[in-house]
Amino acid sequence: MNYDRPELLDKLASEYVLGTLRGRARRRFEQVLRLRPAARSAVHAWEDRLGRLAASVAPIKPPDRVWSAIETRLHPAPQARAKSSWLDWLKPVAGFAFGAALTIGLVLNNPGQFVSVDDVAQSKQALPQSYVGLLLNDAGEPTLLASSTRHGKLLTVKFLRPVDPAGKIIQLWALPKEGAPFPVGVVTPAKPSASTTLELRDTSEKLFFNVPRLAVSLEDAPAASGALPSGPFVFAGNCVKLW
Amino acid sequence: MALGDRVAFQRVYRATSAHLFGVAIRILNRRDLAEDALQEAFVNVWNNAASYQAAASQPMTWLIAIVRNKALDYLRAAQRHMADSLDESDEDGTTIEIADERPDPMQLLVQATEGLRIRGCMEKLDASHRQSLALAYYHGLSHSEVAEHMRAPLGSVKAWVRRGLERLKKCLESAG
Repeated sequence: MNYDRPELLDKLASEYVLGTLRGRARRRFEQVLRLRPAARSAVHAWEDRLGRLAASVAPIKPPDRVWSAIETRLHPAPQARAKSSWLDWLKPVAGFAFGAALTIGLVLNNPGQFVSVDDVAQSKQALPQSYVGLLLNDAGEPTLLASSTRHGKLLTVKFLRPVDPAGKIIQLWALPKEGAPFPVGVVTPAKPSASTTLELRDTSEKLFFNVPRLAVSLEDAPAASGALPSGPFVFAGNCVKLW
Repeated sequence: MALGDRVAFQRVYRATSAHLFGVAIRILNRRDLAEDALQEAFVNVWNNAASYQAAASQPMTWLIAIVRNKALDYLRAAQRHMADSLDESDEDGTTIEIADERPDPMQLLVQATEGLRIRGCMEKLDASHRQSLALAYYHGLSHSEVAEHMRAPLGSVKAWVRRGLERLKKCLESAG
């Protein structure tokens, strides 16, 4: 079987995704998928085409034991509830972009509703190349959405829930892959759904290309370049490239 | 693992698990297997999210594909098991006799196509192409199972599936 022929790959990919490719042929193709990016692209394209059909299937709520089983398998050790010190954020982040592409696409646009693939496709197409960060609070609720076009110097911060800085300054930090956090800028508070902007000292690309996480601390004064946060981060989240 | 990621994962589960569970049940026709498939799928999602590339496929279709693949694996395994042993389908009492309740796949297809770009393309297909795709997609039927259901020759079914997929792809590409 000549897996280099694109028509053959496409035919196999379509039947693999549909489900009619079976038995040994299916297992052979799974091997091909592991080895060949072209095969994977073909499969992803068919997943997008056929995936639209699943939108009509009536939802059925799974029993709670399914989630419990998932949690137990993924996180068997008891979790400490103590607030982590800001030093923990300096540990290099595993390349785990879960909070990024999936959360932004799925949760923000349609929290709690089934997301139509078209919604996601359309929203992605509407966005210019941007760095986007979704910062969560201690309860894990999305609180701030920071975004900046890739080569721009303006950062927009949208407030997703009320934030009361209690007289302090909302200081945004970037947490690079290696090294200490560096200040990005001060965020003017706004009511939920409203946004404020701040000017970056350089383009988004230059500042964030190596930054997997953003965070916010409450300070008495705006942080100067080279300063470090004076206290714990109150909001934090992944920073991703959306293109 | 950052706390934010775990919470994000849970939010995705809450937002999508009911639809994904529905998809699994429709293929497996058994709640217990569908629960296992859903669990396996989400463990897979967590472990592979790092390699998920936004450019690869849309987030939701990626999730749907993972769940369908698991459900299809379980379906084959369950069928092999049943073929190997005596008929004991009612032994554990979890087999759902829902052949009558399950909406006709054609109905599902009609619902799916309403409001989606795919509508015009599916309508353009011949009925036999549409129906064989629906049976394969929604119920995970193999070529021979589709042939049995439609009382049609196996060769014809294979050709219908082949043509249906090709025409769907052409049409979606031109619909832009």
